[in-house]
Amino acid sequence: MNTQTTEASAQSFSQPMAGTKPLVVMEGVTKRYRQGDVMVEALRGVNLTLAEGEFSALVGPSGSGKTTLLNMIGALDKPTSGRVSLNGTDLTQLSGAKLSAFRLHQVGFVFQAYNLVPVLTALENVAFVMVLQGRPPKEIEQRAMHYLERVELADLAHRRPKAMSGGQQQRVAVARALAAEPRLVLADEPTANLDTHTAFDLLDLMHELNREEKMTFLFSTHDQRVLERASRVISLHDGKIEEG
Amino acid sequence: MNTPDGKTPWKSLVRISWRSLWRNRRRTYITLSGISLGFALTVFFIGIGDGGHNNMIRNAVNMGDGHLTIQREGYLDAPMNHLFIAQGKQLEQQLLQAGIPGRVAPRIQLQVLASTSGNSIGAALTGIQPETDPKTNQLKKGLVTGEWLTTGDPQGVVVGARMAEKLKVKTGSKIVLMAGSEGGGTNTHLVRVRGVFRTGIEEYDSFVMISSLDMAQAFLVDEGANPAGRPVTRVAVFLDDESAMGLWKARLKALSLPAGLVVLDWQEMMPQLVSFVAFDNIGNYISLVFIFTMVAFGILNTIMMGVLERTREFGLLRALGMSPWALFTLVVMETFWLSLTALAIGWVLGGGLHAYFALWGLDMSAMYPGGMATSGTVMDSVIYSELSGARVGMLTGLILGITLLSGLYPAYRALRVTPLQALQT
Repeated sequence: MNTQTTEASAQSFSQPMAGTKPLVVMEGVTKRYRQGDVMVEALRGVNLTLAEGEFSALVGPSGSGKTTLLNMIGALDKPTSGRVSLNGTDLTQLSGAKLSAFRLHQVGFVFQAYNLVPVLTALENVAFVMVLQGRPPKEIEQRAMHYLERVELADLAHRRPKAMSGGQQQRVAVARALAAEPRLVLADEPTANLDTHTAFDLLDLMHELNREEKMTFLFSTHDQRVLERASRVISLHDGKIEEG
Repeated sequence: MNTPDGKTPWKSLVRISWRSLWRNRRRTYITLSGISLGFALTVFFIGIGDGGHNNMIRNAVNMGDGHLTIQREGYLDAPMNHLFIAQGKQLEQQLLQAGIPGRVAPRIQLQVLASTSGNSIGAALTGIQPETDPKTNQLKKGLVTGEWLTTGDPQGVVVGARMAEKLKVKTGSKIVLMAGSEGGGTNTHLVRVRGVFRTGIEEYDSFVMISSLDMAQAFLVDEGANPAGRPVTRVAVFLDDESAMGLWKARLKALSLPAGLVVLDWQEMMPQLVSFVAFDNIGNYISLVFIFTMVAFGILNTIMMGVLERTREFGLLRALGMSPWALFTLVVMETFWLSLTALAIGWVLGGGLHAYFALWGLDMSAMYPGGMATSGTVMDSVIYSELSGARVGMLTGLILGITLLSGLYPAYRALRVTPLQALQT
């Protein structure tokens, strides 16, 4: 098992901390794909366990396989070999439609950019996944407003994304991810397009929500400045989780 | 079209699709303008085309033998003078009692040879009730010399202007009419010209000679008919509502008419006019195909651009859990809104054009001063736009159908968007 520690965690594991229930388990995961004439091996036998309630950072240089790994965990992509399970469900055994359903209920996403549906207001964006989940309208409205308040954007509820800053848009995306009550929130370089101050604010917010809502977070970054916010850091190089 | 939970987020789809349509306003406005103007022009052309056709048909029906005609079987193919209806009065009464909303006109149609000292030509002698027959309305206004016929005039005829020229006759001139009889002999009667008419229709002006029923009946009596039975060769039925023709044709057929009689509608009586309208409609439909093809490509372009520009957004929607079919529906909905908006604008513009030309008409007298004669009828020089409910439905359905079809390919492209590929773009 490959691990790396931070000062915050003072430990270096590809295993979760002892005593916690595993939420994500990756076993011998490889991912190969063709890029032009070249066969790229994005992941090379990754073994990783994430526990419920973790606030983990996935670090590594560009091209190290961070996004590919997140896609595997988020049921957006399937491994070439190996097994990925989330909350006890083997994702490699699910078809396209079941994967969609699984994503809808189990995973929340915060992407690097283009996170929001441009024609929907902040409130409608937060409500969107809950609408897909088929929740009652009243509950959707209450939860959407609640999470907008949690990210301190209630006063911008009726603004569309283009009328909001990048940081505000990312906070709306976080609110959307949390409002749908997923087991896991995956954030692919959520701070990449933000200035340092805004990036720290967003990470603080995510960490706060992680503590208060007991939500599991895994976010990728190659920005060393934000690592100190993470309770666990998983380092990826050339498709492999490095030994600590 | 469902979410993975089996619920379709219709409200969200409606909201996103409608708003997405206005994301690139300029492109949408340009597309809407193209579709709306194309549609408005289509409404205008179809309205004028239908108005012209209906005008020709009405004129043909009024100058011809009505919406429905009752005559002897085989008379249409071989109009022999001996194929008359012996009990004309009885048939007329039977039809009047049937409660037909319109008019019933007994007529005698005969093939004769008209001779004067100047010439001899074949003519179609038509015996009518001069005061009441609908044909009177059309022909009397075309009188260029003399006067119209009176009931019971035993010798009077009015003739077409070209016929008058050929026979070298004028008002008051005498003409000898000769008709072949069933036995091979001939029957002759002397008539006198009371007036000359001009319709602008070659077939009428050259060959038609109008007389009273009494005058024409003399030939049928020669063929053995009993004058007491008021023999005729046909009875024409003019309906107040032409759309009821099919209904009344069926009803008249159901009557216990004398044996050997058939009920024909104007389309069976004037197949050449039916062919002309059909041929003219083909021209209109070809124009429609051009306009609708442009419309289809306009929509395809707008929606396709919208889809290609939003590949990443569609990937986001799929990543968040939206099903491929919901995405497909979303794009089809955008097409639907686009076509519905274009239809609304198109109907306002096209409906306005139609209303104007239905009221004031399109004056084509510069091109056709006396109207345009064709296929045995005439189209007035002022054409009034006409659109039936069926036409409105057809045009609306066509544009909706075409636009929705145009949106299917972009929707299919959206359907195939995978979240992973889209998010990597």
